[in-house]
Amino acid sequence: MIPAAAQPHHAPQHASATETHLADVWRVVVLNDPVNLMSYVVMVFKKVFGYSEQRARKHMLEVHEQGRSVVWTGVREQAEAHVFALQQWHLTAVLETETAS
Amino acid sequence: MKRVEVKLNLAVVAPLLDVIRAAADDLRPMLAVDPRLPANDAEFAAEWTRELLAAQNSDLGRFLALFNAEFFVDGVIALDTPNSEPILRACSAVRLRLREKYLRPLGDETLETGEVPPDKKLTANQRRAFAADVFLATLQELIVQHLDPTALE
Repeated sequence: MIPAAAQPHHAPQHASATETHLADVWRVVVLNDPVNLMSYVVMVFKKVFGYSEQRARKHMLEVHEQGRSVVWTGVREQAEAHVFALQQWHLTAVLETETAS
Repeated sequence: MKRVEVKLNLAVVAPLLDVIRAAADDLRPMLAVDPRLPANDAEFAAEWTRELLAAQNSDLGRFLALFNAEFFVDGVIALDTPNSEPILRACSAVRLRLREKYLRPLGDETLETGEVPPDKKLTANQRRAFAADVFLATLQELIVQHLDPTALE
């Protein structure tokens, strides 16, 4: 849908991640902001994660009402790719580990 | 997404373009949102930021190209499959910058509702920035409705 020049880039490869970190469970967390529209956030969740309308909307409402939502959990490399994609859409997305919480 | 042509009121939109272009210029060397990366790998963080910045600048270029000489003749912008997502993202980046530069003192509730309380006095810059923010949000809503008709507020 987007021409090659404007296609979202992939997250840079993390060359220095340790094997321990790669084996950990990482969470992708989206934080609230007062600017991005609810419909925009729902659309981004559907686009980035392939979520259904219902699931995307549930996460959007969590972000809006609770200030944050864990939108994805898994291995670090994939979590980084998701955070990068969300940041390309200008959502405030951060990575957390189980131990960081 | 089918091609959509939107006719804008030149008298309303043209005065907003200066503040929009200035915000877009501010964003050439900086991201609209701090990426909040782990601090333990500076090289990785720098590469991550550089790639996000390249994507952001590409989107902003596509967005600003809407307001070319032809736009000032007929006030029409054309949205289609290739440009809709870059424009959506660019609107978001510019709105975030407008908030940082002018609108933060108005409070988050004002920005979320799009309504300024009657007792709130705005500076001239804040008035222009607020109007630009409302315009960009409206443009985003229009694009989202065409890209994703199931997305409701």
